[in-house]
Amino acid sequence: MNLLRTVCVSIVTAILIMSLASVGMANDTRQELSKDSTLEKVLKRKALRVGFSTFKPWAMKGKNGEFIGFEIDVAKRLASAMGVKIRFIPTKWDGIIPALLTGKFDIIIGGMGITPERNLKVNFSDPYEFSGMSIVANKNVATGKLTRADYNNAKTGGAARLAALEDFNNPKIRVSVRLGTTAEKAAKNFLPKATIVKFNDEAASIQELLNGNAACLVASHPLPETLVEKYPGKLYLPLKSDFTQEPIGFAVRKGDPDFLNFLNNWIRVCNSEGWLEARYNYWFKTNQWKSQVE
Amino acid sequence: MFDSQKKISPRDVLLLACIMGGVILLFHHLAQELNYNWDWSVIPGYIARFDSGSGNWRAGLLTQGLLVTLRLSLWSILLGLLAGTVMGMWRLSPRPLLRMISSSYVGLVRNIPPLVLIFIFYFFLGDQIMQVTGITELSYSLDDNSSPILTTLFGPVEQLPAFLSGVLTMALFEGAYITEIVRAGIESIDNEQWEASAALGFNRRNQLIHIILPQAFSRSLPPLAGQFISTIKDSSIVSVISIQELTFAGQELMSATYRTFEIWTLVIVMYFILTFPCSIAVRELEKRMNSHKDSHH
Repeated sequence: MNLLRTVCVSIVTAILIMSLASVGMANDTRQELSKDSTLEKVLKRKALRVGFSTFKPWAMKGKNGEFIGFEIDVAKRLASAMGVKIRFIPTKWDGIIPALLTGKFDIIIGGMGITPERNLKVNFSDPYEFSGMSIVANKNVATGKLTRADYNNAKTGGAARLAALEDFNNPKIRVSVRLGTTAEKAAKNFLPKATIVKFNDEAASIQELLNGNAACLVASHPLPETLVEKYPGKLYLPLKSDFTQEPIGFAVRKGDPDFLNFLNNWIRVCNSEGWLEARYNYWFKTNQWKSQVE
Repeated sequence: MFDSQKKISPRDVLLLACIMGGVILLFHHLAQELNYNWDWSVIPGYIARFDSGSGNWRAGLLTQGLLVTLRLSLWSILLGLLAGTVMGMWRLSPRPLLRMISSSYVGLVRNIPPLVLIFIFYFFLGDQIMQVTGITELSYSLDDNSSPILTTLFGPVEQLPAFLSGVLTMALFEGAYITEIVRAGIESIDNEQWEASAALGFNRRNQLIHIILPQAFSRSLPPLAGQFISTIKDSSIVSVISIQELTFAGQELMSATYRTFEIWTLVIVMYFILTFPCSIAVRELEKRMNSHKDSHH
C-alpha cells in the first residue's frame, strides 16, 4: 500500500516536473522567437531600414534630395508608429528580394504586388493598397497594319486604333514591360501571343514605346495616364480602366509572425482612419506634388 | 620623324568638314527621328541648387553622385595599390606559398567578370565584414551631421556599409590588375641592380624597399595612372548594388522624371570632367619621364 502510494506520487511528481519543464522550454522558444523578430531588432536598433525602388509616384527622389512619394509617407508613418528613426535604402528592383533576404534592410515598402511566386521567398503583410495594370499604346504603330516606314511617309493621324485587350494579343504587337515586375506577368497572362520585350528600367521601356519599336507598354497605374498627359500627340489609352487589380503588401523575411502581426494591425488602423486612402489620392489622383520633383 | 609645325593641308580640312558634317547630320537625324520631348530646363538643378530654407547653394543630386564616385575611386585605388604592391612583391617572392597565394588571387579575380564578383561580394561577404567590424552598428548610431570628417571622407553615414563594401570590391579587382603592373615593374629592373644591392649587404627586404621598388614604381607610374582612370570608369558598375554614385543617381532621377537623354548626357559630361584631366596628367607624366630618360642616354 505504502509502496503503491510512493510509486503513484513519484509518477505524478515526475509528470508534473516534466510538464513544467516542457512549459518552461516552450516559453524559452517563444522568447527566443520574439527576440529574433525583426520587430525587436528594429526597436533595439532604433532605426527601421526600408528597401524600395524608385517608381513614380510610389517613391521618388525629389529636387531637394529628399525621398518623396506614397510609399515614403507610408514608411515614415510606420517608423513613427514604432518610435524609431527611418533609413531609406534605395535598391534596384531586380535585386530587391535577395537584398531583403540577406538582411540589407528590414522591410520592402515599394509598391510590391503580392504574387504566389514572391510569397515563396518572402512573407507579405495584408494588402494596404491595390494597384492595377493598364496599357498605353503608340498611336501610329499600335494598329499593326502600319509599319514604321509607312508612318514616316504618311504621318497618318486618323488610322484605326486598337481599343480592346484582345486586339493587342497578336504576334505582330511588341509589348514593352519592365523586367521582374507584375506588369511582365500580366502581359504574359493577358497577351500570351504578343511579342514581349523586357527592360531593366522603366525609362528604357518607355523610350521603346515612344520610338515606336514597341506598340504598347504594360505598366501599373498611374504611369500610362501620366505618359499620355505628357505625349498626347503620340500616345493614347486603349482601355478605359485597369485590366487587373493586384494587392500591394509589405514584404518581410519569412518566419517572423510578430512583425507581420504588427504590420497587419498597423494597416488595419491606418485604413480605419482613412489615412491610407487620403495619401493614395494625394499621390495618385492629384498633381500637387509635381513641383517637388521637376 | 613628325614635324609638329606642319601646316594643315586641304585634305585635313576636307576630312574635318566631313566628320563635322556627319556629326551634325547624326544629331539632326536624332532630333527628327527620336520621339522625345527635349527639356533641358531641369538639368541645372541637378548640378547645383539654391536652398531657400537655409539661403545657401547646395550640391545638386548628380553632383552628389559625382562626389560619391570620386570618393569611391580614390579609396579603391589607394586600397588597390596597397593590395597590388604586396601581391606584386609576393608574386616574385622566393617562397612558394606567397607566390601561390598571389597568383591564385590574380587568377581568381581577373577571370571572374567584375559584375559577378560584385554580386558575390555584396550578398555573401560584404555584409559579414561590415557586421563583424561593427561598421553597420556605427552607421545607425551616428547622425549625418555628427562627424563632418567622416562625411567628407566617406560620404553620408547611412550609406557607409554599402559604400565600404563597394570600395572593398573595387579594391579587390583593381588590386589584381595593379598586381600585374607592379610585377612587370619589378621584373623590368635589371638583374645587376639586385646583384649590386646584394653586394652592398642589403637583405632581400631592404633590397626591395630601397633599391628595386622605387625604380619599379617610377617605371610603372604611367600604367598605374591609366589604371586610376579606368577605376573611375569601372566605378559605375557598383551602381548595380545600389551604391549611390553618379550612374545610380542618374538612373534614379530618370525613373523619377523620365528625362532619360538629358540626364545621360549630363552623366557622360561629368565622367568626362573627372577622367579627362587625369588623361592629361598621364600624358604629362609620360613626357616628363621620357625627357628624364633622354637626358641619361
